[in-house]
Amino acid sequence: MDRSELAQPFERMIAGLFPPGRVREGNGWDAERREIEASGFLDLLAGDDALAFDHAVPLFIVLGRHAAPLGIGREMIARGGLGDGAEAILLAAAIAGAGERVLEMAVAYANDRVQFGKPIGKQQAVQQNLALMAEHVVAVRLAAELAAADFPDGGAMKAAVAKATASELAPRIASAAHAVCGAMGIGMEHDLQLFTRRLHQWRAEAGSETLHSRALGIAVLADDRSAVDWVRAEVFREA
Amino acid sequence: MFASFTFARIPADYEDLRATARRLAKEAVADRPMDVCARSWSGYDAEFSRKLGAAGLLGLTLPKEYGGGGMGPFARFVVVEELLAAGAPVAAHWIADRQSAPLILNFGTEAQRHAYIPAICRGESLFAIGMSEPGSGSDLASVRTRAERRGDGWRLNGQKIWTSGAMHADRMIALVRTSGSAEDRHRGLSQVIVDLHAPGVTVRPIKDLAGDAHFAEVFFDDVALPSDALVGEEGQGWQQVTAELAFERSGPERIYSSVVLLDGWLAHLRSTGRADAATTALVGGMIARLATLRAMSIACTALLEAGESPVVEASIVKDLGTAFEQDLPLAIADNLASHRDEPVSDELRRTLEYVTLVAPSFSLRGGAREILRGIIARGLGLR
Repeated sequence: MDRSELAQPFERMIAGLFPPGRVREGNGWDAERREIEASGFLDLLAGDDALAFDHAVPLFIVLGRHAAPLGIGREMIARGGLGDGAEAILLAAAIAGAGERVLEMAVAYANDRVQFGKPIGKQQAVQQNLALMAEHVVAVRLAAELAAADFPDGGAMKAAVAKATASELAPRIASAAHAVCGAMGIGMEHDLQLFTRRLHQWRAEAGSETLHSRALGIAVLADDRSAVDWVRAEVFREA
Repeated sequence: MFASFTFARIPADYEDLRATARRLAKEAVADRPMDVCARSWSGYDAEFSRKLGAAGLLGLTLPKEYGGGGMGPFARFVVVEELLAAGAPVAAHWIADRQSAPLILNFGTEAQRHAYIPAICRGESLFAIGMSEPGSGSDLASVRTRAERRGDGWRLNGQKIWTSGAMHADRMIALVRTSGSAEDRHRGLSQVIVDLHAPGVTVRPIKDLAGDAHFAEVFFDDVALPSDALVGEEGQGWQQVTAELAFERSGPERIYSSVVLLDGWLAHLRSTGRADAATTALVGGMIARLATLRAMSIACTALLEAGESPVVEASIVKDLGTAFEQDLPLAIADNLASHRDEPVSDELRRTLEYVTLVAPSFSLRGGAREILRGIIARGLGLR
């Protein structure tokens, strides 16, 4: 199945159920649960005909893109009987989604906001920061996609790579977005804070970058292979 | 955003190729100390390059009729990864294999293809790239070296600088002005093949900050070029150069410049048995970056394989990849120097010193960081 075939209806449903106003109110999603339950999305990772795990990445990117309650994702992981590694990888995907969204918001704002007689996005200093931010957003997504491939094969090390990368970059993505959006982005009424507060929260959930980096470091130092050979075998699972 | 830039796998078909590349690379570095291996890009070893050619490891992506391997970009990824991870000396074929041969294939005449590509695939023909000039670095369109029509051919006057391997190379593909003036910018530029042994060519090596002389300045004093020196169309040089740089920016070479040092440090830590919390976090953080960058570089290779020209994606890989390469020596120096009672081998110390000194070049060669971020900003719709 094409991944977008799943992600698109999921995106429509989540966007409808969790408009920015609704997300602002709190974390409860009891009223929405029935609708999601009826849609069958919560069972996608469960049962004999469960979705391939790497197809879950685009779904979690959607959760991140809409700052939707992560409880939806947790329910999917629990019903699938997937462990901690799965949660770390899919949190990385959610961070990629939220990162994508704040990048779009920052680029749109940079093209819109005029100072010194031109949009601030025409200033090279701003362009350079947004370019680096885009690099980080892409890196988090690729790390999550890499980790989800062939899961649970090599699960612990892959989860560590994905979460170490996502947690390292999430605060940098958030601060870059705030730097561009200026005082506007600090206001409670502006949607930016819906995403950046979650970037910080998800960075810490299921372990921050140092925790996951240590797990990788301990495994690498207990081995005698070169860095590239170790990564190829233990993360990419190449022969 | 960048939706087609997505996870891909290296096809399993290339495992034999990997094994051959690994064996030859291991043989080549067997007697070389670590700090010499760390000079992989600038390591000149003509015999090794000929061996790679004989084993079918050069010109992998070029058609078989010109002596190439007839394979896709993933074949090259696998071989380059093995050569660089081992620290093998690649300078004698590097530029011809990576840039010159694909350029001649894409834009050259049938006669030029037959004249140049087979020798490149055998590892017997060395090329240099003539882009930078004393007044033209990041602003490449301002080149002033000029080729003027004279009879059947051309007369070349001017100067190139920072030309890697020019003292060993047989030929240079130079970006020159064939009409108009520097103010005409992208218009009026062309690419010509210059025989570096021709009368009027002077090559003067430049010593770098580590004491090596791997690049040079090249002077052209009324050099006679034959009519078939022109590659591609007259006046299309800028478009050709832009396409050429996309080959250059996304490969494993943008991740692995410091990997010999990384392995040397890992070996040191393993031998001392030191696995304190700060060190394991540092090691693991670098490994996570390496794995993520490798996934990004493979994703970019998949776009090349699909026939796309991933200019923005390649810039993303190169900017993040070179930052990783540059962070490694700094972090390793800090880690070693924070354990002052721990003996460090001279070999590791020399390697660290060398990589520390040359690391700034990693984000200069092939397009400076600020230029790449400008390309990415354009991809984001900001320019």
